[in-house]
Amino acid sequence: MPQVKNTIFSSYEKNPGLLDELYDETGEIKEIYSKLFKLYGEHSIQDYVTLNNKAKASFFNQGITFQVYNDKDSKEKIFPFDLFPRIIDSKEWDIIESGTIQRCRALNLFLWDVYHEKKIIRQGIVPLELISSSVNYMDQMMDVNPPGGIYNHISGTDIIKHSDGRYYVLEDNIRCPSGVSYVICNRTALKRALFGVFNHYQTYTVTNYAENLLEVLESVKPKGVDIPTCVVITPGMYNSAFYEHSYLAKTMGVELVEGRDLFVENDFVYMKTINGPEKVDIIYRRVDDQFMDPLEFRPDSALGVPGIFAAYKKGNVSLANAPGTGVADDKAIYTYMPDIIKYYLGEEPILNNVHTYHCSRPAEMNYVLDHISELVIKPVDEAGGYGISIGNRLSKDEIDAVKRQIRADPRKYVAQPIMSLSVHPTYIDESESFEQRHVDLRTYTLLGKDKEFVLKGGLTRVALKKGNLIVNSSQGGGSKDTWVLKK
Amino acid sequence: MLARVANNLFWMGRYIERSEHIARYINVNYFASLDAPNEHSQSRQFVLRSMMYMVGEPEKDDNVQLNEEDIFFKIGLDPGFPFSIINNVKYARENANSARDLISTELYEATNKFYHFVVNYPVDVFVKRGLYDFTLNIAEMSAVLRGKIRGTLLHDEVYAIILMGINIERATQIIRMINSKYNDALVAQGSYADRFRNSFEWTTLLKCAESYDMMRRYYKKTPNSVSTLEFLILNPDCPRSVMNCLNQVFYHIKTLDQKSSYHKNSTAFLVGKVRAEYAYKSIEEIEGDVKKFIESILDSLNQISQKMEKEFFNY
Repeated sequence: MPQVKNTIFSSYEKNPGLLDELYDETGEIKEIYSKLFKLYGEHSIQDYVTLNNKAKASFFNQGITFQVYNDKDSKEKIFPFDLFPRIIDSKEWDIIESGTIQRCRALNLFLWDVYHEKKIIRQGIVPLELISSSVNYMDQMMDVNPPGGIYNHISGTDIIKHSDGRYYVLEDNIRCPSGVSYVICNRTALKRALFGVFNHYQTYTVTNYAENLLEVLESVKPKGVDIPTCVVITPGMYNSAFYEHSYLAKTMGVELVEGRDLFVENDFVYMKTINGPEKVDIIYRRVDDQFMDPLEFRPDSALGVPGIFAAYKKGNVSLANAPGTGVADDKAIYTYMPDIIKYYLGEEPILNNVHTYHCSRPAEMNYVLDHISELVIKPVDEAGGYGISIGNRLSKDEIDAVKRQIRADPRKYVAQPIMSLSVHPTYIDESESFEQRHVDLRTYTLLGKDKEFVLKGGLTRVALKKGNLIVNSSQGGGSKDTWVLKK
Repeated sequence: MLARVANNLFWMGRYIERSEHIARYINVNYFASLDAPNEHSQSRQFVLRSMMYMVGEPEKDDNVQLNEEDIFFKIGLDPGFPFSIINNVKYARENANSARDLISTELYEATNKFYHFVVNYPVDVFVKRGLYDFTLNIAEMSAVLRGKIRGTLLHDEVYAIILMGINIERATQIIRMINSKYNDALVAQGSYADRFRNSFEWTTLLKCAESYDMMRRYYKKTPNSVSTLEFLILNPDCPRSVMNCLNQVFYHIKTLDQKSSYHKNSTAFLVGKVRAEYAYKSIEEIEGDVKKFIESILDSLNQISQKMEKEFFNY
């Protein structure tokens, strides 16, 4: 094929200060990307714009859209998706996979301990006030034995590559991590638009997630149940992740229920079907634990099922994830992860932790207050990228405001050095060309009784605004298909 | 299957079917009127009134002049009019959404495409020159949906409930059309060479039900009031006939109620009873008092629907 002039890559600008996933240390295009780079380089800009529109239409027709519901006239929008995939070779993937499994195992043991003997606290490794002051700690879970001994069946681990070329974990999400359906949709959309590129790569599938999820869920069935009935519970079709809930239910072949479809009788859970009540054994919950049972937690919850927690405590129904896991994905606990891994597993952490300053400790708080411009300040109990301040982006007044916030409630804040997330070529609509954008990676790990699984792929999230480091979709982020190459 | 979701699927079937019949009714009537053989049927006011009669909002004041573009907008794309096509399609998709885990990706995507086609159709194009294109697409897309329902779903309870929704709605819409065209034929009689029995409106009615060609094949005669009503109400082989719909509903209720003899309070018992009534009816019994027939069959269909709700959707 003749070389097309003026391709989508002709204007690609490489900022030497950033780690670009496309290039190796010597500045050459990495071998794993060379074929892809060439294939994409054969497209003229016009070609690529057409393909990009097709991919968008694919999302639209699949109904993977979101809408701002309090705005009556707002059109449905798709989540921004980038056609240039991220590639991870098998060597790097092995580190990620073994590292996330290690973390999830350690977190599970930690949760058991926190809700039983609390040895790690008594031995002074994790301070007591960190647990007792956590809003996500659930007293009701004390001495409850979850079926199979598993708390965090489904974990989402957010990983970045720093400019030093090493992987760091930014966050563990073990409450209701979402986004896995996008991993699969991104793959579908990319296949529809550019199926040819798959001929040149041996990529692991991502569609085996649901079957593994079902296996994990069934591995923690209540005692005495032979063939368990599993359901997914959703807050309802107006929830922003409803597509994912229905996708997972469909691909597992189980019912998608809402709280109002379930009821509890004699500490057993039933769903209301066209043939009358049917017993439910395992619930994959996509409703926050605080909303699961109005009798036990938030009494104003209309999403939950009265009495379900009592059924759970009796061991008559399994909940995944277990209630109360939030105490362990708190950003303050995060900083103890290397110690937690060593304590329970006797192993060195495989994935790095970002060094974290606790504002609850006076000396560290003073350091933070003096160095705000070099740090990222995060509230410990917020998800979705809310409440984060990036020091070098703040004006003097804003810095003063952050200082006041920290002083007012030191326990609420931790600070980390500003990490330089690696960048990846990303198609930008406005300039109709590829530009460098920061990316991270959310991996999905499943933990069952005698079963572990990491989805080979994951959600590469892209911060679409130039220079922006926050990749959450609620903050205007997009995503990419992620290929893990076979050996 | 969850009772709540079963209810949603039942209504998904009904809304798909409803939007198609409304679209076809306005299409056929409008285009038939353009060169209708008599003055009355050709009058624009006559056809616009007929459309409003069909969708259940008849204009009662004879002196009001209806505006063509207003009526098109109202029936087609008015989000504020509960019986508009756009609302039917919205409801169909919303119901599909809530049962997304039960239906196939193919069916969902087709529903979704249908929805986007309707919500993105420019209003000014539709009311000025898009009537044919818009209504034809609605009819075709709903045919695609029925194809996906039949061809991609498991033929189990989910399928049975959707098909019951479709057939109950189809029978209802066919009766509404009969009602509306019967009324038109009454109004139009007396003008040039047009008697009620041989009214031009019977041909239009058959075309609204996509049954004109097959009716000609069956009777080999120009349609008149008796043959048209017989074909559309009692002929079990006409896929749009009331009889055929009742047979379908009876067939599908067996998937939901597998007992060998039905309890007298069950939906299956009621469906069987209504079906038997029409299986042994002659057109002469109906033709004598069409108004009474229409009231009675609409009432029966309504009872079936309510019974289903009580027996299966009560959550």
